[in-house]
Amino acid sequence: MSFAIATTLDEALAALAAGARPIAGGSDLVVAARHGKAPLPQSLIAIHRLGELTEITESVDGLRIGALVTHATLMAHPMIGRAYSGLADASALVGSPSTRNVGTIGGNVMNASPAMDTGAPLLVLEAAAELQSALGHRLVPLGELWTGPGRTTAAADELCVALVLPFRRARSGSAYVRLEYRRAMEIAVVGAAAAVVLQADGTVRSVAVALTAVAPTIVAVGGLGPLVGAHPNDEATLGAISAAASAQASPISDVRASDRYRRHCVGVMARRAFEAAAHRAAGETIVVPVNRAYGIGAAR
Amino acid sequence: MTVATPRRFVRADGPDKVTGSGRYTADLTFTGMLAAKFRYAEIAHGRITRLDTTAAQAISGVFAVITDADVPDVRFGPFVADRTLFARDVVRFEGEIVAAVAASTPEIAARAAAAIIVEYEPLPLVTDLEDALTAGASLVHEHWAVYGSADPVVRDRNDASFSSITTGDVDAGMAAADLVIESRFVADGCHAVPIEPRAVVAQWEGNKVTIWTSTQVPFDARAGVCETLEMPASRVRIIVPHLGGGFGGKCGFHYEAHVAALARVAKRPVRLVFSRREEFLAPDRRREGMVIDIRTGVRHDGTITARTGWMAMDNGAYTADAGFFPQLAAMHIAGPYKIPNVSVEAHLVYTNHQPSGSVRAPTAPQACWALESHTDEVAAAVGMDPVAFRKLNAVDTGDVGPSGQTYGEIGVQQCITEATRLVGYGETPLPHDEAIGVAIGWWPSFAVPSGAYIKLDGDGSGQIITGAQECGTGAVMTLRQLAADELGMNPEDFELVYQDTSVAPYDMGATGSQTLFNNGRAVVAAAGQIAEQLRNLAAEFFEASAADIVLADGGAYVAGSPVATVSIAELAGIAASGELLIGHGSGTPPATPQLVGSSCVGDLGMAAFVAPQFSCHAVRIRLDRDTGVVRVLEVAAAHDSGTIINELGALGQVEGGVMMGIGQALTEGTVYDDEGRQRNAGLLEYKLQTCADSPVIRTHFVQIVTPDAGPRGAKGLAEAPNVATAAAIANAIAKLVGTPVRRLPMTPERVWEALQS
Ligand SMILES: Cc1cc2nc3c(=O)[nH]c(=O)nc-3n(C[C@H](O)[C@H](O)[C@H](O)COP(=O)(O)OP(=O)(O)OC[C@H]3O[C@@H](n4cnc5c(N)ncnc54)[C@H](O)[C@@H]3O)c2cc1C
Repeated sequence: MSFAIATTLDEALAALAAGARPIAGGSDLVVAARHGKAPLPQSLIAIHRLGELTEITESVDGLRIGALVTHATLMAHPMIGRAYSGLADASALVGSPSTRNVGTIGGNVMNASPAMDTGAPLLVLEAAAELQSALGHRLVPLGELWTGPGRTTAAADELCVALVLPFRRARSGSAYVRLEYRRAMEIAVVGAAAAVVLQADGTVRSVAVALTAVAPTIVAVGGLGPLVGAHPNDEATLGAISAAASAQASPISDVRASDRYRRHCVGVMARRAFEAAAHRAAGETIVVPVNRAYGIGAAR
Repeated sequence: MTVATPRRFVRADGPDKVTGSGRYTADLTFTGMLAAKFRYAEIAHGRITRLDTTAAQAISGVFAVITDADVPDVRFGPFVADRTLFARDVVRFEGEIVAAVAASTPEIAARAAAAIIVEYEPLPLVTDLEDALTAGASLVHEHWAVYGSADPVVRDRNDASFSSITTGDVDAGMAAADLVIESRFVADGCHAVPIEPRAVVAQWEGNKVTIWTSTQVPFDARAGVCETLEMPASRVRIIVPHLGGGFGGKCGFHYEAHVAALARVAKRPVRLVFSRREEFLAPDRRREGMVIDIRTGVRHDGTITARTGWMAMDNGAYTADAGFFPQLAAMHIAGPYKIPNVSVEAHLVYTNHQPSGSVRAPTAPQACWALESHTDEVAAAVGMDPVAFRKLNAVDTGDVGPSGQTYGEIGVQQCITEATRLVGYGETPLPHDEAIGVAIGWWPSFAVPSGAYIKLDGDGSGQIITGAQECGTGAVMTLRQLAADELGMNPEDFELVYQDTSVAPYDMGATGSQTLFNNGRAVVAAAGQIAEQLRNLAAEFFEASAADIVLADGGAYVAGSPVATVSIAELAGIAASGELLIGHGSGTPPATPQLVGSSCVGDLGMAAFVAPQFSCHAVRIRLDRDTGVVRVLEVAAAHDSGTIINELGALGQVEGGVMMGIGQALTEGTVYDDEGRQRNAGLLEYKLQTCADSPVIRTHFVQIVTPDAGPRGAKGLAEAPNVATAAAIANAIAKLVGTPVRRLPMTPERVWEALQS
């Protein structure tokens, strides 16, 4: 087995072309190997020294987050906290402080776990993965990236260099909520993200909801079109969100929860994510992460 | 007699541990050292039809592969001799050791262990506690009847130890009741989960072996090696480097003999270091699952007239130290209440699960959870406030308890008062999703032999050489305080030499909250001998009577003239050229209290509580009704553990016990698959509480003068804080859900299911 540390992007891309697998923080890859889930790849190329992948760039088009940006950075970034709060909510929940210091957004997205926390908020925020290989460069919307647990449409020689998030218009808000049995070192039993844009009159202009850990990949909830024009605080609206989330989930039963409980809880999470997103869209400040601000998690 | 204000001091081993300079067993290396790896059964019940180690032996770098055939033919076990070092013919749980390998690297050892060929004929699984007790049940031990066992142990097929406590006439008591309330509870097993997975290093020199091991009980470990490898104690030395926690999980005799046997065959030092998964699967120490039925007769005025109880607890495949569990569990179902008519029966049931053993307050958290949940149901049935109901029925000083023991000065009533006051019980209305639950618990102190030496060297600095073992509670650290107080010196004047069986006298180890209680007594006795020597030296120095010499502030003076002092260092200097300052102590353990009017079958001495400890925990929780998630917001813990000697250490014990209790209440439970294997043998799926989950914990010590207690009236404290937390949480949940959650742990999904019905 071989391990090399890339000092330039080209070096990393060349190594990928030669069959190496990238390793960023290693907090998925190494842990999975230790647990016997997947053996360490024969050849590893470490990308953690590629400074250009650690940048967050704001522009009129939106936000470009380098693949090596850590959860610790994401959760504390003022612009993300304000305009892309759902992503900050998710990063703030990852593992523990030390996990958030090593774990990267690129690793989270490319690991393609159905329980990844940044996946659902990135999906509702319409993010795309910027993939680069020695041969070229393309943008893949996240809805087209994940194909199953640990599987993506990225080619083996493609490195994710950034996540690109479009500009969020006025009166928009997002949130991510996760079911937690404890308040740190937790893995999503289920989770949900919502992104909401309101009209000037406070009714829904657009809404997107995505679900964590209830299908082989992060999934978007469909059929929410009829909610356009609805009042976000109406019980009917909230009920429709949670009913749609529960109905469209296809959860499994395992040691963490039964499918029945997961199906119920993902509806609760979707409803809460939507509520928080709508409140944020209306200009209310809800601190990151929503899990610590709302309901059971609130300090009170 | 008044009780002195406790002191607060930081334990001596703290800086080493937090800075990383402390050495643990896994840190040790020796020239030529090999790595050990076990081959486990991996199936829960089967007959070995083939065991072939040839391929493993042939791997380059492998120095030894051993099985049952390579060790003496010994069956062992403290209560029932049902265990062998390596599986013989039959494997009875997935973590049973079939073979052991020593190789030059851990990777080669793992490969060799995997290369051992083992084939099994599957045998029927025994996993259900009640089924296992039925007449036609398959047996976990076909030849149970020929096993040796300790005298009072009552056994019958899958029932490895049966015990009952009977007082008065329960039929008459039930007939005299206005209401009879009946409840059933089921607790899942759970784990001790010390931070340090265990490690053992063995090195032979001639026919002597030194074993460094992460045990809580070095003398027990030595006894186990001596018994199974047929060696005299004089040739086995057990040394414990820093121990990274135990919580009971590292009590008993574990892998010391396996590693010693490997090292003997390999002719090299051998080190075993467990993975977290092994730590979950292999040891015969985890908290047992239970099925509990309780019935209580009560009058409209709230007085309890009678109680019956029936319990089955999961022994797992081998008995380890769980033999006494039935009687202790029965005491927790009877509870610290005045009940004239009691009949509780408890069975320790063999299954094809991992063996159970003492984990912090064995049997108590689950049994207390069941009893105290039931107590709230009984109080509700007679329309009484649960706290008032407890105050009415709980034992007090001078009362007779359910096993016929008359209590001296005890503080359970004060505990109830203090805990409910601290949490503000009944003071202000709570939000709709919050509730306060209250529970009381008790726990014995254990009076056993123990020994220590003390020496003062020529410069007046001292060493305490003790058999006591420090497992993280700080109890051994407190010994310095006791010695210092006897000699008018400072704790910092003493170093501890400990955790070495060839150096110090016997102690039972870090088990049963007994260190301060018993080894404290030994240290006080040893220091007393030196005090006498110092008084004699000072008497000569001052030409006064030894009886008039006072030892204080690092010196000695004649009573009444403290300005003329001679320092201890000076006296020690004098002694250094004459009779040396050496003390040894053991002291007589307090006597076991008499029981009157009760009878116990399978009596292993657990129905009489020496210096009993009492507690009341009151917790405020919040429930998320949509998901069943419970958060513990505040815990008030009031404890009667006698005199508190180091308040800092005592608070640490209570806070740790509460956190462990919250885990047991809400998230910690073993889940099995259909083949009797653990599904959550790791820290990802076995959910401990984290710092982020910790509530506000307010502690109050009810310090009263306890007869027949340990040094200065101290009782134990390490286990008691783990008894009542889960029960108090259960009662808070039941208030919000409208019914108890009758399964432990009360996971979000179980709470949510209870909310649906
Ligand atoms: C204790 C602990 C707690 C955790 N808690 C959470 C949690 O709460 N929520 C959560 O979502 N995750 C959690 N994780 C998982 C993990 O920390 C995160 O997924 C993290 O973001 C992974 O980032 P990494 O840089 O460490 O990935 P790595 O392990 O380095 O890589 C993961 C995978 O992605 C590939 N990869 C990495 N970077 C790139 C890239 N730029 N382009 C292409 N492929 C790439 C690697 O080849 C590998 O297959 C936890 C992990 C641990 C150990």
